Amino acid sequence: MRIVVRRGLSIRLAGEPEQSIDHHANVAKVGSRGQDLGPVRAEVLVEAGALVAAGAPLFRDRTRPDIVFVSPVSGTVERIEIGPRRRLSEIIIATDGSANIAKFDSSSIRTRDGMRALLLAAGQWPALRSRPFERIADPDVTPSAIFITAIDTAPHAPDPLPIIEARRDDFRRGVEAMTQLVGGPVYLCQPDVAPLVQETGRLKTVRFAGLHPAGLVGTHIARLHRPSESEPVWHIGYQDVIAIGHLLETGTIDPFRIVAIAGPGMRRPRLVRVPLGADLHALTRPDLAPGPKAIVSGSVLSGTEGRFLARYHLQATVIERKPRPSRHWLIEALDKAQMPAPFIPTQALENALGTDAPVVPLLRALSIGDAEAAQRFGCFHLAEDDLALARYVTGGQTDFGKHLRAVLDSFEERA
Amino acid sequence: MGGVWHRETISWLIAAAAFPAACAAIGTFGPVALWHMLLALGVAIVWQLIFLWARAQPVSPIALVTAISIGVLAPGDFSPWQIILAVSFGAVIGEQIFGGWGRNIINAAVASLAFLYFAFPQTLVAGGGHLLALSVIPGALLLVATGIVSWQIVVSAILGVALASFALGQDPTIIAAQGSMVFGLVFLVCDPVTSSATRPGRWVYGLLAGGLLALFGWTDTGFDGPQAVVFATLVASLFAPLVDAAAISVASRFRRSRNG
Repeated sequence: MRIVVRRGLSIRLAGEPEQSIDHHANVAKVGSRGQDLGPVRAEVLVEAGALVAAGAPLFRDRTRPDIVFVSPVSGTVERIEIGPRRRLSEIIIATDGSANIAKFDSSSIRTRDGMRALLLAAGQWPALRSRPFERIADPDVTPSAIFITAIDTAPHAPDPLPIIEARRDDFRRGVEAMTQLVGGPVYLCQPDVAPLVQETGRLKTVRFAGLHPAGLVGTHIARLHRPSESEPVWHIGYQDVIAIGHLLETGTIDPFRIVAIAGPGMRRPRLVRVPLGADLHALTRPDLAPGPKAIVSGSVLSGTEGRFLARYHLQATVIERKPRPSRHWLIEALDKAQMPAPFIPTQALENALGTDAPVVPLLRALSIGDAEAAQRFGCFHLAEDDLALARYVTGGQTDFGKHLRAVLDSFEERA
Repeated sequence: MGGVWHRETISWLIAAAAFPAACAAIGTFGPVALWHMLLALGVAIVWQLIFLWARAQPVSPIALVTAISIGVLAPGDFSPWQIILAVSFGAVIGEQIFGGWGRNIINAAVASLAFLYFAFPQTLVAGGGHLLALSVIPGALLLVATGIVSWQIVVSAILGVALASFALGQDPTIIAAQGSMVFGLVFLVCDPVTSSATRPGRWVYGLLAGGLLALFGWTDTGFDGPQAVVFATLVASLFAPLVDAAAISVASRFRRSRNG
């Protein structure tokens, strides 16, 4: 199947990454922030100072203890910080460079339960996320479909095709594993080229053409298979699929991801092979252009500033940090007291969402927190990422993603 | 980080698009148009500052567009207090009490002008001619090219004018030569905030506004003055949310029946 996304915008930004992979990036520390994982109440399984192998469990979800989060590297746990309501706020591991890696038993993967148990034990399960609500998938639920996102249209994202081509067998194994997890269809959403994997029965390859947000999973879900509260859909990124394929073959985790570090603040924007949660500050420091910079995990549209690469991000963007202009105190005070200006409907805003939802009524409903109306206009297949472009286009004053999260939370609490 | 379509960028662009029309209006009607623009601008700014102070609503250069619209569409023998009263009504009831430009449901200039025409009907208001009509064209092209004005509304409004005129047995090209009508069509009917916001809704809204314009003009107010376009916009923008709601419910019913 081929789908052309007519809406969409091209975002111009300096610092396009060179699409050749730097394999020698040195990562001394990796970290994980709880806020990147959703509302996970963590039960920590290690102590600060403990030695951990790559693949050793670090913490698990209190409410769903099957879901385990593992260390991507071998090293020493340097710091564990728990925030309010037992939410993990940060965990940092210093790598020791040894090849100390945990081995998992991958003999019982012929059955759905065996596959599920392996993915849970090896800490690969959190790669699967579920919509509505964009949470880590519930292992006790059977989804109505799984989406594999093998396309990335965000500005300066790595090109998925050469990465998949280099690890064709792992990718194919990972895709087959996904078809085992679900009784319904598995959609492999890919760029507009020949199918990456042979189509079989429930596995459907869908080619997407168009500008961003043609590569967002929210766009794919809206076109192919809308979820409801009782029938969620899961989605997973292509590099996580490759990692699962690697796990099934070797019994060890593959914590490495090909990540783009790019943007106008980088002197040598490029792709690097780094473990999950890599320390972005240390990684970018040798190549920063002079002047104050903001280092963002994720794309310029939806990324968040932070020291470590977030769990689901495959790129980091370095942008100029604009100094605050010095202004008269009265103007400053008036400006600070102001409510954000409302957005004005324009063609650019219409093109910022990849779904066929009525854009302006949906954004108006979200910005006043009208949950019922937002549901009627279709917001269950959306997540923060999908509204990032709308926020960017309107000048970044109104965070529609935050409003959407508030609306989704209100539905989630009711459920 | 952010793109360019911030509210103030858009209002500066609309103001720039209206500038040639403002010059043409001053050329056509003489200093009275300029005087009304400056007076209206002053009043609108005062109300914006009051609402900035009292309700923390950011000020917006859209006051320029409101002022230009009033200068272009109210070139009559009004005394200053009449203009002040009308613009105060338009700026407060039409715009500020809803939360400022972007949250309003009727255009501030439309509310002011409707107030002027209703409250002081004995004052004669002149309509602009060819020069004004031509001076609107570059601004209209700019707004359509930047996507601020949706081309669907422009096309459907012209279609609505033509259809309603033919239905009444009149010649629609006479309307195209009326500068006030062309100005109102671009800057009042096509206001991105108060017009319909869904795609099918925009076609209906444009047809409605154009049809009402022709109906009011041919049967009631005539095309010598600008009243027809102001009243047509007022009615059409009040119906715009209803049109949108209908468009959305039709679309969702269609989707449900298609998906089973």
